[in-house]
Amino acid sequence: MSAPTQKNSPAFFAVIVLLVIMSVGPVILMFVNSFKLDVDIISGTSGLIFMPTIQNYETALCDVLWYEPEPLDFCALKFGGAFKNSLIIALISTALTLVIGSMAAYALVRFRFMGRDTVSATTLMVRMVPPAVLLVPVFGLWNNEFCLDRDGLIGGAIRDMFGGRGDVCLAGTHTGIIVIYVAMNLPFVIWILQSFIVQVPRSLEEAARVDGAGPFQVFFKVVLPLIKPGLAAAAIFTFRIAWNEYLLASALSDRNTKTVPILIVNNMSEFNVEWGVIMATGMLLAIPPIIFTLFASRQIITGMTAGAVKG
Amino acid sequence: MLTSRLNRLSPYMFMAPAAVIMAIALIYPLGYMIWGSFRDWDPSQTIGEAEFVGLKNYITLWGDPNFHESLGVTLRFAFICVIVEMIIGVGLALLLDRDIRGMSLLRTMFILPMMIAPVVVGLMWRYMYHPTVGTFNRTLEWLGLPDVDWLGQHALMSVIIADIWQWTPFIFILSLAALQSLPRSALEAARIDGATAWQQILYIKLPLMMPVLIVTALLRLIDAFKVLEVILVLTEGGPGLSTEILALRISRTATEFRELGVAAAMSNYLLILLMLLTVAMIGFTKWQEARAAKLRMANEEDS
Amino acid sequence: MLSKLKTTALASLLMTGTAMANPYADYEGTTLVVNFPAHPHYNAVMQILPEFTKETGIEVEVDQLPYLKMRERQTLELGQDEGEYDLIAYVVFSKADYVYADQLENLAKYFMNPKLSDPAYDSDDLIDGYVYNIGFAGGNKGYLEGKTGSLFGIPYGSETSVLGYRKDIFEKHGLDVPETYDDLLELACQIPELEPGMGGVASRAASGHHASHAFLLHLAPLGGRIFDDAWNPTMNSAEGVAAAEALKKIVDCGPEGATNFGFGEALGAFLSGDTAMFLDTTVVSGQTLDPKRAAPEVLGNVGWALHPMGTRRGSQTGGFGIGIPANAENKEAAFLLMQWLTSKQGDKLVALAGGNPSRFSTHEDAEVNAKFPHMATFGEALKHADPDWRPIIPVWGKINADLGTTLSKVLTEDLDIQEALDGVAERTRAVMEEAGYYTWQ
Repeated sequence: MSAPTQKNSPAFFAVIVLLVIMSVGPVILMFVNSFKLDVDIISGTSGLIFMPTIQNYETALCDVLWYEPEPLDFCALKFGGAFKNSLIIALISTALTLVIGSMAAYALVRFRFMGRDTVSATTLMVRMVPPAVLLVPVFGLWNNEFCLDRDGLIGGAIRDMFGGRGDVCLAGTHTGIIVIYVAMNLPFVIWILQSFIVQVPRSLEEAARVDGAGPFQVFFKVVLPLIKPGLAAAAIFTFRIAWNEYLLASALSDRNTKTVPILIVNNMSEFNVEWGVIMATGMLLAIPPIIFTLFASRQIITGMTAGAVKG
Repeated sequence: MLTSRLNRLSPYMFMAPAAVIMAIALIYPLGYMIWGSFRDWDPSQTIGEAEFVGLKNYITLWGDPNFHESLGVTLRFAFICVIVEMIIGVGLALLLDRDIRGMSLLRTMFILPMMIAPVVVGLMWRYMYHPTVGTFNRTLEWLGLPDVDWLGQHALMSVIIADIWQWTPFIFILSLAALQSLPRSALEAARIDGATAWQQILYIKLPLMMPVLIVTALLRLIDAFKVLEVILVLTEGGPGLSTEILALRISRTATEFRELGVAAAMSNYLLILLMLLTVAMIGFTKWQEARAAKLRMANEEDS
Repeated sequence: MLSKLKTTALASLLMTGTAMANPYADYEGTTLVVNFPAHPHYNAVMQILPEFTKETGIEVEVDQLPYLKMRERQTLELGQDEGEYDLIAYVVFSKADYVYADQLENLAKYFMNPKLSDPAYDSDDLIDGYVYNIGFAGGNKGYLEGKTGSLFGIPYGSETSVLGYRKDIFEKHGLDVPETYDDLLELACQIPELEPGMGGVASRAASGHHASHAFLLHLAPLGGRIFDDAWNPTMNSAEGVAAAEALKKIVDCGPEGATNFGFGEALGAFLSGDTAMFLDTTVVSGQTLDPKRAAPEVLGNVGWALHPMGTRRGSQTGGFGIGIPANAENKEAAFLLMQWLTSKQGDKLVALAGGNPSRFSTHEDAEVNAKFPHMATFGEALKHADPDWRPIIPVWGKINADLGTTLSKVLTEDLDIQEALDGVAERTRAVMEEAGYYTWQ
């Protein structure tokens, strides 16, 4: 697009190499350090000459390993459990957000109904609400208001089935965290899916309706398959937020529903700055997003441009 | 008869799940927070037990030098981040807007920082900034330069650098997309007229990209007010209050000082600030659309 | 799995046979949920818990959290009608909140219960200062020893401040271990000259709790207090200014980046050989002997001395206590665990695993001293521990945060010390006024 006469000079390539080093360097540094012992990280020896060890990963994953790692006194980290929680919460909340969000986006694009403008404007406005603002009310509501009395019918049944003490509240459950993540991600998903649904030709939907399909059949059988690229982009962004979020999860989770970011922040506590283990847990948390980036960068870029430019 | 009623109901049925979830988990909590911000509220109380104190929390905050400082830090952080990111991001987009083999691979690598959890970004940078074992000071030492006290004397700068690392790619990708969708005819014409590369950028590319750039900057600005985890892991707001952005102060007020009412009032101040920004963004897009429509109409009338 | 089932079955058979002889029999198979901090002492506790389960058949599930997090969690759990935790470890300054809100069990009824209370417990052997500091409430000033007080918790993981120093460095330059504050401050700034690149004393200084803690550490030995007897703030007295000046001097002559050090960073600096001295809690002693944590030149080269003396001796009292929440499910079994952990046997076990013992006898124990030669010094230091080195009142959290933030500004932005402390005192007075401490004036 620029002048074809313009040769790509060596300086230009140097800039590119520098950019690549800057953007990928820290990640590689973390990767390398996660295979070092703390002594190697702290001592001044140069970065590349060291004995790689998987000890940090063993420490992190001690609760899911089939053998007992040698130098550990006891298993403190329980990374495996947190990873499972993160997976459950991120996957379920992503799936729910997509289904609910695409339905809402469809309604906003294809139907005229009372309150449409209000809904649309509200969606736009709540997109900017920072998680920190939700912290206080969500903490209060999830712990005190959104509860089932334990002597009640359903609350009692839940306590009988799953055990535990006190009233049955949303806080401390996977459901509680999933609900807030779905709500937080909905505005964004509705927003970017609208621009994809607009592009679906109406004639296809009408043809299906003539064949006798109801509105839900039309939506699930005709519209959804056509907006797959949009769904993929939305899914990645929703997953990313649900997977990476720390603040609300830390206010809502208890010892059994801790997610990985909480575990990492907790593990940076003042008495244990064990760099090797911290880097290993960070690396494990970063692996899913890195995989997405490598295999779905096209969808990510589509999603970003759809979310911003078409807005 | 039945089908027509079904059809009339169907938009509501499509809308219902989203509306219910957002009402329960976004709108109601926001209302609850506003209600709570008028109370002297302790985490061990339910909101009903908390004493109603009117505007006291808002007034306390209004006169609280720590809150002012925190607000100042937030604004400085957000604006410096966005301005620097815009300059670097747009600059890189202009520089890299040419046919390079492996461009898609490059873009993949550039978006990597954005996808990684803020918590992890925080810990990577905390390691690199470490006064003795960190990468930066080791490099400086190796070059024979004096060490820098990254997270002590220059905490805010260090935090900003980490944010720039993570979010410049966002602006780069969006600017690049905008650049590549510019009308070729205008650029072609400029080249034929003999405009230099600089003139093309200044007089053609940048003005044409401007609408996208403004929306991007506003989006990024709103996001910059949401940043919390990176700073939490890097400095926990210190030293002093030098990196204690509002989001962090809200969370500290709620959990450490145990004053939910004050934290709620602070959340409301932040919300009002963001509301203004959002309204500005929506207003700008609306104005943009209206202008584009008018131009199109005028064009059609001309032809 | 099967074999495990068999042994439990067998064990329970045996137990029923000897039910009279075993006080734990009724609680066998109970699972206790306990909340402990992520802290070296409690890491040692984690290692001895299997022993408890083996001996008693009571299972223990531990929720280990960083201690500020732990505090948040406990606020939430203790406030409910029925709580998750059967036994909690709490930091000293949580005592005020919990007891005031009636959230901790008074331990009298457990020690009075002949079926639960072990006659061999020997409570006189527990270190007095800590029992009063951590476990007692209702005495003088509301939080100290006194005739009106009673027991709500037992100290477990008692810490005091000691001075750690690098024997090799001191020998090399013929330095004496500082006895007084003047010696300490002089030496702190002398070290960077003698050993270029090395800091004097590693101290915490990061904004908030850390800076405040470091200040209080110097305040007591220099003769200062946060409040006088009528709750008037006195941190801006001449002693307070001297303590802040000492802190500033130590940080200025400390290692690089010291202004942003939390406890972990300060300890890290000492362990990696960046400083010659370390003035803080006893809890770190184990790590100076751990080749995974300490750099080779530091390993085994650390000597320990008493906290230097200012106008008086006054090392900190800190650490944790364990108590039973009022809303716990298995209070009696929790008491049995508590008693076992703090018994002579438990205290010695945890000391051998690298924890901080809370009994006189453990500090004098030959086996423990053979493994950790510094234990005798620590026992000596505990005798000078000052239970009133910081106030333990419900509003302390707020004052602590203000003090810590202001001091951090003093360290980084060169605020005038007197002025800064006057500001803290003024704000503290307002806080105290609001909390009703001046009602009787």
